Amino acid sequence: MEHGSVTDSTSSTFSIMEEDHTLANSVRFVLNQDPRVAFCGYSIPHPADNKINIRVQTTGDPAKDVLKDSLQDLMVMCQHVRGTFDTAVTDFRQNNPTGMDIDVNKKVA
Amino acid sequence: MPKKGTKSSKGTGSEPKEQERRQKKLPEHLELQRTRVVCKFDGPVNTEGFQYGGAFSAMGIDNSVSVDKFCKDFKVEIKRLTEDDVEFDMIGIDASVANAFRRILIAEVPTMAIEKVLIADNSSVIADEVLAHRLGLIPLDADPRLFEYISENDAPNERNTIVYKLHVSCKKGSPRLTVKSGDLEWLPEGSQLPLASPAQSRDKKKTYTSFSQSQKDILEKPLGVKLKDITIARLGPGQAIELEVHAVKGIGKVHAKWSPVATAWYRMLPEVVLSEEFKGDDAEELVKKCPVNVFDIEDLGNGEKRAFVAKPRACTLCRQCVTGPSGEHVHLRRVRDHFIFTIESTGALPPETLFTEAVRILEEKCERVISELS
Amino acid sequence: MDPQQPEPVSYLCGDCGAENTLKPGDVIQCRECGYRILYKKRTRRIVQYEAR
Repeated sequence: MEHGSVTDSTSSTFSIMEEDHTLANSVRFVLNQDPRVAFCGYSIPHPADNKINIRVQTTGDPAKDVLKDSLQDLMVMCQHVRGTFDTAVTDFRQNNPTGMDIDVNKKVA
Repeated sequence: MPKKGTKSSKGTGSEPKEQERRQKKLPEHLELQRTRVVCKFDGPVNTEGFQYGGAFSAMGIDNSVSVDKFCKDFKVEIKRLTEDDVEFDMIGIDASVANAFRRILIAEVPTMAIEKVLIADNSSVIADEVLAHRLGLIPLDADPRLFEYISENDAPNERNTIVYKLHVSCKKGSPRLTVKSGDLEWLPEGSQLPLASPAQSRDKKKTYTSFSQSQKDILEKPLGVKLKDITIARLGPGQAIELEVHAVKGIGKVHAKWSPVATAWYRMLPEVVLSEEFKGDDAEELVKKCPVNVFDIEDLGNGEKRAFVAKPRACTLCRQCVTGPSGEHVHLRRVRDHFIFTIESTGALPPETLFTEAVRILEEKCERVISELS
Repeated sequence: MDPQQPEPVSYLCGDCGAENTLKPGDVIQCRECGYRILYKKRTRRIVQYEAR
């Protein structure tokens, strides 16, 4: 749910239910990287409620669009993480035949 | 403002833009603050870093991490991969995202766990509710992705419930019997206990579950428990346990028994730098100071010995090496965007699958909020 | 269960261990040895617990 003014779409607070630091802190990080963002932050109004408030103030663009773009960016980043991780696992398996417990730390030590 | 480092252009960039980006570098002290957490004798300093992407825009330097830049720089290196744990380095990612993965792994990746315990007989010394609690914590060898969540009003069926039975007794005159998790027997056809409700003539045998087909037909491999030697109870002569358990899908947020990991944690890569040479006795002293042998001594020839940083990764940041008068020449730091991530699985899913599942869950969260905003 | 006809309940003798079935109003005493302490037998009815 978006809380903002009718005339000014550049500043809004978004209330998201059933979310916590997991999503809020990650989104705040991505929002901070966006040059269109003048201010962003999040809060959990009460620890017993499963709810977060994300504040976005932009330099001109609608806050909602900027937040959506950030979520989209985070999603793309996750997809890239997953792809990179899967490749790393495949590579590791190829270089180290299965059935052996290999510990790189121990080898160095 | 120190001009140091601003003119250093590394090699010849192929593109003029690339060259321009490389030419503009932060002064050394700011770059240190941006990329490292410094661990001083009395505690870490500069833990916050620079959050804002435009922090250095006045200097013409971009501090942001665009998606393209992230995709270019992000790296994963697997260090150890076994059946039930994985250690890998995640390089070029912010702590907020790494922490999101960790939080999801512990609290939001689903597994199957025993939720209902139907006790027909328990004459052992262990109380019913304690026995039920112990059973709940047993890791099950069942892929949660093959099952659905059961809600309060749902009837337990072959898609959302796994049934095990435990029938053990200790004969009179025989020695004490230890009941292990391996004694749990999977019932692919569902519950065998008849419902105690008033006899309904149309159903000859109504049980606690309503399976329409055998789970043997849906699943590729038989289900069991991951570890067969977990002690559940001990029975004296003449004692017996007869019960049935129903396992359902859930997440660690609701109860820790559904957490798919023993633990999942990360630490930032330690970096140890010696700003002055440690020779002779000083070197010996430094090596001796470190309990995890981060330092070693190299022979310089002509009888001279010098300490060097051999295993910075082993450093626990106990800060022993920065104590004392020689401590000011040892610098302990952590690399802000380099995470040593460890996942220990409880067994339902292999650790590498757990991580990809966790990442997928974060994606789903984003997707949900995007569609809610639209 | 029918509330009009209370089910007889099984008890175990505290002395000899013999099984006794008592109805409301019966004397609390073992039929075998006359011992007056009886223990209630665990029900065979299914008891459901939450594994938490």
